[in-house]
Formats: sequence, structure tokens, C-alpha cells
Amino acid sequence: MSINSTAIDPTAAGDNPDEIAGITPPPPARWLRVGKSPWITRLLALVAFVIVWWFLTTPWSWHEGKPIMLPLYLPSIPDVWAAFVRSMTIHPIAAGVDRMVVGEQGYYLWQHLLATLQRIGFGLLFAIIVGIPVGLFMASFRFFNTAAEPYINFLRALPPLGYIGLLIVWFGIGNTSKIWLLFLAAFPPITIATIAGVRGIREDQIHAAQTLGAKRYQILSKVMIPATAPDLITGIRVAVGFAWTTVVAAELNNGIPGIGGLAYASGTELQTPLTIVCIIVIGITAIILDSGIKALEKVIVPWRGKA
Amino acid sequence: MTVAMDKSGGAASNAKHEKSLVVDGVRQFFGTKGAKVHALSRIDLVIEPGQFVCLAGPSGCGKTTLLRLIAGFMRPTEGQITVDGRVVSKPGSDRGMVFQAPTLYPWMDVRQNIELGLKFQGVHKAARGIESERYMKMVGLSDFAERKPYELSGGMQQRCQIARVLASDPDFVLMDEPFGALDALTRERLQEELLTIWRETGKTILFITHSVEEAVFLGSRVLVMSRRPGKIVLDEPVDLAVDGQRLPVAELRSAPAFVALRDKVRDAIQASM
Ligand SMILES: Nc1ncnc2c1ncn2[C@@H]1O[C@H](COP(=O)(O)OP(=O)(O)O)[C@@H](O)[C@H]1O
Ligand SMILES: [Mg+2]
Repeated sequence: MSINSTAIDPTAAGDNPDEIAGITPPPPARWLRVGKSPWITRLLALVAFVIVWWFLTTPWSWHEGKPIMLPLYLPSIPDVWAAFVRSMTIHPIAAGVDRMVVGEQGYYLWQHLLATLQRIGFGLLFAIIVGIPVGLFMASFRFFNTAAEPYINFLRALPPLGYIGLLIVWFGIGNTSKIWLLFLAAFPPITIATIAGVRGIREDQIHAAQTLGAKRYQILSKVMIPATAPDLITGIRVAVGFAWTTVVAAELNNGIPGIGGLAYASGTELQTPLTIVCIIVIGITAIILDSGIKALEKVIVPWRGKA
Repeated sequence: MTVAMDKSGGAASNAKHEKSLVVDGVRQFFGTKGAKVHALSRIDLVIEPGQFVCLAGPSGCGKTTLLRLIAGFMRPTEGQITVDGRVVSKPGSDRGMVFQAPTLYPWMDVRQNIELGLKFQGVHKAARGIESERYMKMVGLSDFAERKPYELSGGMQQRCQIARVLASDPDFVLMDEPFGALDALTRERLQEELLTIWRETGKTILFITHSVEEAVFLGSRVLVMSRRPGKIVLDEPVDLAVDGQRLPVAELRSAPAFVALRDKVRDAIQASM
């Protein structure tokens, strides 16, 4: 994007990174338009946030030498940083004790994160492997759609916490039930996006292939699947978001290693600084994943919105 | 051949019309009993190999409907369409279609779009390359082989569509107002290119238009369809040759015979409305 054009004409739409799905936000009030780049605004917001946090968690003489928010509710920034460093290093189990331990709960923070990403990866992979063919089937055969649609909608409406107990009974407390849960969370959006994609194909795109002599499987591989790809990627993006918000539920029981499990366990053990570390890591990872898929979309379906 | 057709020959399949396209007593209705639209009244038509047939008529008279029936996208309510004596029941690579709105695949570049028909038919890569080069050159897209359809202008997209259909080598080329959305200059240039291509390839073309001028300029035979329910009210051979010599494409528009025929067709359309 061009930084200059935004500076000269702040009302110019199109290059605006704040634009979400074609909705252009109105230009901010004049006094809010700081500098040339949205990143300066964002940086300022972050600074303001940190100042408020610092203000609330610093001991003040006018407040009986205590912070406004007690550390149990809102730990100070140095405490959170210390918890982060602890979680990434080998450290004594407690101050003044010789016994050394690794990170938190026996794993480094990045191992927790990796374990969670792996679960989501498997859940998503199965959701894609199953969801796309089911969606294609449902879009192609009215009978199949009529039969399966209520179940997909039912599944989609259920909060994952509602059925994790059942999955544990069925598949045990290990990884299997967690991957099942993530699969069940990610599967409906992918199926529904596939159906929408197939239904949205212009009839003449199929006709054109037929007049060029395409056989059935060629219509599927050369026309239907690529034509569905933009919707599919949207579906996957929604599914990743869904799976990610489900991950804490998936890791409530026996979720170590796992960033969701760690967030939950640290909360129950009143290690608030660690909980905040986990929350920040979960949030940042979600944003990175989403931006990754968005970037991938530009590469895989460059024609989106153009044809 | 990948085209599926019924075994039953039908009434029109006598030896005389072999290799021709025969529309035999076709009527078409749309909708249910309550809101029935009578689109085609009764069409009888024989298109011989090598003809460039232009079908003109007011918009909404059923031209597209007739073309889609011939393409096999739907079956007529009454009557039948036969090619080579066999009843058309679904689309096939013997009848190529140039759609009114360019229907190219945005996930393929120009070259891949043009080679698609050959690919479907199992032609191997080297041979496809030779064919696509030839047709890209014919329609003037050689410099755009690696471009995606959405990077092309409307006129270039239509040229790409035409090349795609020609490259798949159909017996009949069906064209539905392919130049309708283009500006006058582009339109005239593409008309001249198409006419040149027809003279070079000798394809059988059924070209739909709502422009009388275009019909007379392009066609070796001009049909006029009345307003809905569509019926063919004029069937006129176009002979603009002078002393048995075809006029150069660029001189056609000013030929006296062209002007006379154009007025005749215009009168026919006005009388039918
Ligand atoms: N699939 C359809 N369902 C209902 N009515 C249709 C359908 N296709 C065409 N029609 C109607 O048939 C008539 C002829 O349409 P069309 O063949 O597209 O006309 P033209 O191409 O000559 O402009 C129009 O009145 C149109 O509304
Ligand atoms: Mg039409």
C-alpha cells in the first residue's frame, strides 16, 4: 500500500488495511488521524494500554502503598514478564530451592503451544478431508443434502463444552478425544462453505466445460473444485478460528502439554501472571494464523472478487 | 466422440441432411401452469455445414433459448433437435458455445483456457501447445498467453472465448451476442476478425445478435425471429459477391447489396414487432 496516498487523501478507500470484507470504515475524526500510517495509531494505543496497566498495578503511597488492582486479579507487567521468562527456561522450583524444573508443568511454553497447534492441525486436517467431500456430496445430491443438513446445523449449534464429556467417555482422556472435539468444531464451517461454493458456481461455467468435451470427473477437478476454492478458504479460515476458540475446552481435562490446558491449570492454581502470558500467546497466535491464511488466500485464489 | 445422443434417428434424419443441424418442430415453454411463458412458437430450421447463420430479433424473443436448446443445456418442450441424424440430449464438444458474458476460468491463464477443450479430449501437451499458439495468433492474444482472464479487457476476453471454442474444433460454433457488450469500434474490428476466421476455417456458425447491421455483415444467411413467442419470419441468403468474387471484408459495409439487404431485414424485424 502507498503511504503517501493515505496522507494526501485520507478518504481514499481500497488501500486501507482496516478494510474488512469490503466494508470501508469511515475516516477517523481529524484529530485522530495521527501521522501517515495506521501503525503509529496502533503503537499509541498500545502505549496507552500499557500505561493504564502500569498505573493499575503499581503500588501507590496515596493508596496505602498498594496497587489499585491486587496482583491476584491483575498482576504487574514485571510479574507477567517474569512468568514468561520462567515458562521459557529451566529454573528453581521455588525461590531458594535447589531443585530445577523445566518451564511450566514440565514443558517449555513453546512446547505447550506446539502441542496445541498439533492438535488443531490434526483436527483441521480431518475436518478438511471429511468436510469437503461431504459438502460436495450435499451440494450435488438433493437427497443427501436433505438428510444431512439438520445434523450439520445441530452440530454447529452445540457449544463444544457440551459434548467434550461424551467424547472423553468414548475416546478416553488422551489426545484422541481432543482431536475429535476440534474436528467436530472445524467440520461444519468447512462443509457449509463447500456447499455455498458449489451452489455459487455459475451454471454456464459448467456448460462451457461440457461443450468443450469435459467428462464428469474433469468437470469436478477442473471447474467445480477451483470454482469452490475461494469459499473453501473462507470456510477453513472460519474453521481455524472456531477450532482455536475451542482449544481451551478441548484441553480442560488432561491438557498438558497444551497452551489451553496451561491457561486453565494456571488459573485454578491462582498463577495469574502465567494465565495472562497464556492469554497473550493464544491471542497473538490466533492473529498470526488468521493473517497467514489471508496471505495464502492471495496466492491460491488471486481471482477472488475479480471474476 | 464424447457426445451422447439418442439412437433413434427422428423424422428429420434423412440422408439429405446428413452432417447438418436440424431443428424440427421445436416449441419451448417456461414455468408452470400458472405463469407460463411461451418462449418459442414453432421453429423448423436446417443449418448446412459451412454456413454462417445470423439470427436477429428483438430482445426477449427467444434467441438465447433456441441456442441453449441446440447446445443441449436443456431439452425442448416439444419437437427435437438433431445433429448428424442423432437427437441432441446433452452438451457435447461437437457444438461449441461462445457465451454472451465471457465464461473463461479465472484460475487458468489465457493459454490454459484455450487448450482446455484439447486437454479434455486427451490431446497431449506438445500438440496442445501448437494449437493454442495458432489460435492465440488468430485472435491476436499471443502476447497475453500468461495473463489471467480478469487482466484482459472485455473485447480480449471475448476473443479468448472464441479461440477456446475454435481450438476444441467443434462442428458447430454457437455464439450468443458475443460482441453485444463491446464499444462500437472494438465490435467492428472483432466482426471483421470473425468473418476472416470463418473464411479461413470454414466452420459452421450460428450467430445470435440483436443488431441488423451485424447480422447482414457477418452472415452467409440471415434469419429474423419475431417477438415472443419466437418464430422465424425471414430466412434470407446473403450474397454480397460481385462477379462471383467475395468482397474484401473491409469493403463489405459500403457495398450497395449490403445496404439493400440491411434495409430488408430491418423492415422484417419492424413488421414482426
Ligand atoms: N430459464 C427460464 N425460465 C423462465 N423463463 C425464461 C427462461 N429463459 C428464458 N425465459 C424467457 O423466455 C423469453 C426468451 O428469452 P431469451 O431466449 O433469453 O430471449 P433473447 O435471447 O432473444 O433476448 C424471455 O421472455 C425470458 O424471460
Ligand atoms: Mg439473449
